[in-house]
Amino acid sequence: MIELQDVWKEYGNGTSALSGVSVRIKQGEFVYVVGPSGAGKSTFIKLMYREERPTKGHIFVGGFNIERLRERQIPLMRRTIGVVFQDYKLLQKLTIWENVAFALEVIEASRRTTQRRVAEVLDLVGLSEKANMYPRELSGGEQQRVGIARALVNKPSVIIADEPTGNLDPENSWGILKLFERVNDRGTTVVMATHNRELVNATHKRVIAIEAGQIVRDQERGDYGYED
Amino acid sequence: MSETKNAGTMDMRIRTVGRHAKEGFKNLFRNGWMTFAAVGAVAVTLFILGAAIALSLNVQNMSISIENELQINAYVSDSVTVKQLPELRKTLADLPGVRSVSFVSKAQALRKMEKVLQSNANLISGLGNPLPNEFVVQATDPRQTAALAFRVQHVKGVEQVQYGKSIIGKLLAVTAAVRDTAIIFIGALLVMGIFLISNTIKITIFTRRREIEIMKLVGATDGFIRGPFFVEGTLMGVFGALLPSAVLYGLYNWLMRSVTLFPPFTLLPADAVVWRVFWVLILCGVFIGAWGSVMSMRRFLRV
Ligand SMILES: Nc1ncnc2c1ncn2[C@@H]1O[C@H](COP(=O)(O)OP(=O)(O)O)[C@@H](O)[C@H]1O
Ligand SMILES: [Mg+2]
Repeated sequence: MIELQDVWKEYGNGTSALSGVSVRIKQGEFVYVVGPSGAGKSTFIKLMYREERPTKGHIFVGGFNIERLRERQIPLMRRTIGVVFQDYKLLQKLTIWENVAFALEVIEASRRTTQRRVAEVLDLVGLSEKANMYPRELSGGEQQRVGIARALVNKPSVIIADEPTGNLDPENSWGILKLFERVNDRGTTVVMATHNRELVNATHKRVIAIEAGQIVRDQERGDYGYED
Repeated sequence: MSETKNAGTMDMRIRTVGRHAKEGFKNLFRNGWMTFAAVGAVAVTLFILGAAIALSLNVQNMSISIENELQINAYVSDSVTVKQLPELRKTLADLPGVRSVSFVSKAQALRKMEKVLQSNANLISGLGNPLPNEFVVQATDPRQTAALAFRVQHVKGVEQVQYGKSIIGKLLAVTAAVRDTAIIFIGALLVMGIFLISNTIKITIFTRRREIEIMKLVGATDGFIRGPFFVEGTLMGVFGALLPSAVLYGLYNWLMRSVTLFPPFTLLPADAVVWRVFWVLILCGVFIGAWGSVMSMRRFLRV
């Protein structure tokens, strides 16, 4: 489902972020990507939706050969992947409903599909009541749930999240994790880069640990494993 | 089933175009002063272009009508007495290649001149009659006018000869000069217009970078993302064309009303000229706007 074969990434300024990473993630898995700051977690995530391109190696996500993709196929690939960020990336001028609907409007979904899907995902993340509010009127945890709703609205087969609980208190972090678990239960692959020791240790899922651009540990039902 | 699906995509196309138009319009007003400057530069450019076109259309038309009624004006020397005039007329009529010869007396010429000058007629009233008697000679074959004029020139009693060619030559020289100057101006202003439009759009892109980032993230196509900016640029070009079109229309009509001209120096009717100019300007405006927006997006919207 997701596969990296000997992937290397060196940024333009010469910084080496990933050095020979190979990994395989099956459809429906839930995977944590852990490691110290600067280890290469975000780079790993960005390569998967082609925000960055590898210097060397092959990346497959869904049916797409990511680094061979033609420019015009990139949008189609992105429609099969939902991305969630630490800073939510919501549009402040749009309501919650509009923020989620935006993701469908810009890929020219029909009005009817948009109505139905937005209602469904807002219900899933428990924000139907706040659909007409603006992001600044919501707590951080709620804003992140809007971000997740937007990532889900197009029914992606993979959700990729880069430190989604990085700005949240423990309680809200748990809420977000529960939400990802529910999404995962429905068969969606979840890849989540995180610093959150408690979440990782409490949930016993697959853990891929990256250090200095290399995978140092890949453990089923693993734990966080750092003393940071 | 497939019919409803087609209707659906059609409906979506319209919706998308509508969305781009709306967003593009909003962008125009978002950075008003930049838009104003860009539209202004395009408007000035296209005004010059339009004026040059209107001028050349008229000169072309005048040249044609002058050529059609090519005639040789043979001004009679003052030493020729009235009694000698019929003899001179006969000499002229007997020249090979002459179709007709007619006579315009000093007095007739003066009356014609007064009519042309109208209220300014008093300018020449104090001078007595400075105009010479004149024979108007027409060639059988208009193309032989120059050769005939040369022969007329050498008839004794003819002081000076004038015919259309020299006027046409002067007209064409003036238009060429105007055209060359206009081309330089238009070239420089065109570049400036494209540059200003593309800069205005760059600012819009910058202020909307977050939206664009999210659009890319959720899989909007490049074409879709560019739509509103393309609309914005094209609209600037169109406004930059409408403005000078309106001004030229007003100006041309005013010219027609306030300047009295006599054949063959007449202006073409306003509608004929202004519509042609209008379409050329709109086309140029759209071109400038589209090019400006493409330039602005080339670097900024890479996925
Ligand atoms: N755009 C970039 N340009 C240059 N270097 C970068 C860029 N992004 C990340 N890096 C570098 O690559 C390394 C890995 O970064 P990153 O993938 O963000 O790590 P993490 O997310 O684990 O903190 C770091 O040394 C970082 O400074
Ligand atoms: Mg990171």
